[in-house]
Amino acid sequence: MSMQQFDMMVVGGGPGGYVAAIRAAQLGFKTALVEKEHLGGVCLNWGCIPTKALLRGADIAHTLKEAEHFGFAFDNLSFDIKKLVQHSRSVASKLTHGVAYLMQKNGVTVIDGNASLAEKCLLDVEHEGKVTQYKATHIILATGARARNLPSIEIDGHRVWGAREAMTPAALPRKLLVIGGGAIGVEFASLYNDLGTDVTLVEAEQRITPAEDADISALAEKAFKQRGIKILTNSVVQSLDTSGSESVALISGPDGEQHLEFDQVILAVGITGNIENLGLESLKVETEKGFLQADGFGKTNLTGLYAIGDVAGPPWLAHKASHEAVICVEKIAGVDGVKPLNKDQVPGCTYCRPQIASVGLTEAQAKAAGHTVRVGRFNLNANGQALAINEAEGLVKTVFDQNSGELLGAHMIGPEVTEQIQGFGIAQQLEATEHELAQSIFAHPTVSESMHESVLDSLGIAIHQ
Amino acid sequence: MTDQITPINMPKWGMEMSEGDINTWYFAVGDQVNAGDDLVDIETSKIINTVTASDSGILRAIVGAQGETHAVGALLGVLASADVTDADIQAFITENTSAAAEPEVATEPAAATLAAAAAALETKAAPLVTEAVAQPSNNLSKLAEGEDDSQVAASPVARRLAAEYGVNLNNINGTGRHDRVSKRDLEAAVLAAGGRLIGNSIDKSVGATQFGDDSNVKATPVARRIADQLGINLFECRVSGDRGRVCKADVEAVAALKNKMSAPAGSHIAGIGGGNTVESQPISGMRKTIAARLQASKQTAPHFRVHIDAEIDALLDVRKQINSSNTDAKVSVNDFIIKACASALMKVPAINVQFDGEQLSYFSNADISVAVAIDDGLITPIVTSANHKGLVEISNTTRDLATRAKLGRLKPEEFQGGSFCISNLGMYGIKQFDAIINPPQGAILAVGAGEQRAVVKEGLLAVATVMSLTLSSDHRVIDGAVAAEFMSVLKGYLEQPATMLG
Repeated sequence: MSMQQFDMMVVGGGPGGYVAAIRAAQLGFKTALVEKEHLGGVCLNWGCIPTKALLRGADIAHTLKEAEHFGFAFDNLSFDIKKLVQHSRSVASKLTHGVAYLMQKNGVTVIDGNASLAEKCLLDVEHEGKVTQYKATHIILATGARARNLPSIEIDGHRVWGAREAMTPAALPRKLLVIGGGAIGVEFASLYNDLGTDVTLVEAEQRITPAEDADISALAEKAFKQRGIKILTNSVVQSLDTSGSESVALISGPDGEQHLEFDQVILAVGITGNIENLGLESLKVETEKGFLQADGFGKTNLTGLYAIGDVAGPPWLAHKASHEAVICVEKIAGVDGVKPLNKDQVPGCTYCRPQIASVGLTEAQAKAAGHTVRVGRFNLNANGQALAINEAEGLVKTVFDQNSGELLGAHMIGPEVTEQIQGFGIAQQLEATEHELAQSIFAHPTVSESMHESVLDSLGIAIHQ
Repeated sequence: MTDQITPINMPKWGMEMSEGDINTWYFAVGDQVNAGDDLVDIETSKIINTVTASDSGILRAIVGAQGETHAVGALLGVLASADVTDADIQAFITENTSAAAEPEVATEPAAATLAAAAAALETKAAPLVTEAVAQPSNNLSKLAEGEDDSQVAASPVARRLAAEYGVNLNNINGTGRHDRVSKRDLEAAVLAAGGRLIGNSIDKSVGATQFGDDSNVKATPVARRIADQLGINLFECRVSGDRGRVCKADVEAVAALKNKMSAPAGSHIAGIGGGNTVESQPISGMRKTIAARLQASKQTAPHFRVHIDAEIDALLDVRKQINSSNTDAKVSVNDFIIKACASALMKVPAINVQFDGEQLSYFSNADISVAVAIDDGLITPIVTSANHKGLVEISNTTRDLATRAKLGRLKPEEFQGGSFCISNLGMYGIKQFDAIINPPQGAILAVGAGEQRAVVKEGLLAVATVMSLTLSSDHRVIDGAVAAEFMSVLKGYLEQPATMLG
């Protein structure tokens, strides 16, 4: 039998890979997608979606805690974490089936197995010990990334969890150490704190969510501390002894060293690209620090090979992967007007409580880039809707270029800000200035009125503060 | 009064276009049309493109209805102001349809198609838009003039609209913040120049054309939407709804009637003896062109063939070296053949020609058409100036062209023209074949598979990788000895690939 041949083969079925496959099929490419485990990738199976399903449980826990404030009282409240995990897994499974349906609907051939490059434009796919070779004019690698280990501390799936284990707990930990104060660490700290666990969060940088604007980090830290989460910044877990019944962590920080005991540890110190066993070395495909090197359209240094999503480097976000998928495929197809990815227009969302969302440059980054900035701030405690729902802790910060009026960045912390950030994203894409935003009418009463007020504040004309 | 009448003619997109199918009219008879509006979609063998109105006026008549095929230059419709009488319009149509080419060119002898292509060759720099599409009105055209406007401050919406209206932003006074040009500024300027705003004309489906604008017919919203979707004019419908309105059932009745009438026109499957079924369907525009052009080629160009074998072991070695030492190169054997042909065409320029039956055109560069099989036919994208391109560049160009050819995303200039053609069926294991010349080119090379064969060298049997090559030439302009010389030079380049570098 002659070798099967495709115009386009995509390796990896996550939000980068499956979107690339669908777009390619739409454009008329004969397309195949190779997936080693589950369609949907980390995002749908072990990332964004199942954690959001768990965080919904945390929200309910929080609501129940403040029910008394609204006049409710009840006894015999009980919680079974297994049911929450079950909900999370059923959502993941539903979405995975949804992706399988989309593949079928778009005529994408799905191939199970582990893919590796045998040659330029030639893929070996190993499945249950059997290797099949496929020819493809264009190959997109969308193999994603996985949690990184520390030299001294490794995820063992038992005493030390990665994100994957942390979202399928059999029981609720009593005392939890979260190592890493980035988006993933902060979300798990928030989740388990709401569910009733005693949480300690350790971050090596001087503030948690170090990628966010400093004002946002400060507010997040304040809110977390109020909730009883212990936060150790400028601190490093030197070692972890898991031999006893409790794990003992040696943590060094500004106040010296201390030994603290935990029954569970979550390691969330960043991720590393899945670049192993893809046949990259022998074909001299360029990688750097664990990620594939590609241009603004995903093209690598190897003829016919492209890389998108987490494996192609930061920001490690599903929507960035999906966007890269579309521009990569459209560029190959010669679609008019395709623009390379602008990383300053990729929004980032963290689903802790209160939520954090941002797009573009922080104030510090904008200044470092040479902009004369005009900054607007608005606190949610002056927003009627935020007060009404008793979630008035939060801030909307906008950063404009003083001369051009360009919206350089927007930074939000507060209830449902992950839904509101799209407004700023659209404004940025349309190159709206503070003037257009100020002239837009925002509906009342909404939390997003604070977006408007923040813009007005940048002009010194905020109404409600 | 004919000076107030603007004809809409079948355009000529590229030299090989001799006819076009009317795909969709965007306006109905009686509609006001503005300069720049999309008027009608024309499908040719290779592309679907839109004819835009270059003048404003009322669409007074549609001569070329949807589905009809008309020759280049044929009258498709008439634009005129309201004060031109119907009699004048009719006279104009009569005058222009009898003089111009008859519709249904496909039924003419194939030679005429070639002649049309040949005529186009004389005016090589033929513009994409025919002269029949007249100039925009003065005021509007003034808005289009001016230098590069990319630095003019304008909102993204205004900039996009400016591109659609063909307006140069230098001509617009901005009243937005920092004097930025807003959408309102742009639209005000267009209106002031006598233009009409885009988006005010509703796409009229073709069924509506013969009945005129039905926007004043009373109908229920559902009926109106269904009619629009099905291409049914509300004038066609009986009126059975309450308060004298056309209702959903009325539209559906017309749709059912039309389906019954048009059913035999589409494809149908007939049973014949022995359970064998025959599916008949009309052929596509592309298939029609392939049929007409190749038949014309065989009938008018006396083909003769010369055949040669080339040993390509050295070439395969060089290919291996190039591909293993460059991550950004995946040079195929076919890329080598393109390069070798380009080099050989420079050595034997008498092959690098086009002939239209009267004039012989010599080309200074090798624009090599490469036949690519696609879903519903064949297309020949061109590697331009292949003689000036290196192997890696040829390879990357070919990969991009072939990718987009399969997706139907080539631009006309990327597949129209060419001074020589290569057809390679080696990947199917074909040993040797003859190809039909792609007119008005003078010759085509048919390439078979490279395979190990027993060869005799200095009296001894040996094994070599051998490829069979066949050149079909138009004997009217290429002599046997010239073809033979070309093939021997080509063989030399393929067997000693290093000599291509010189």
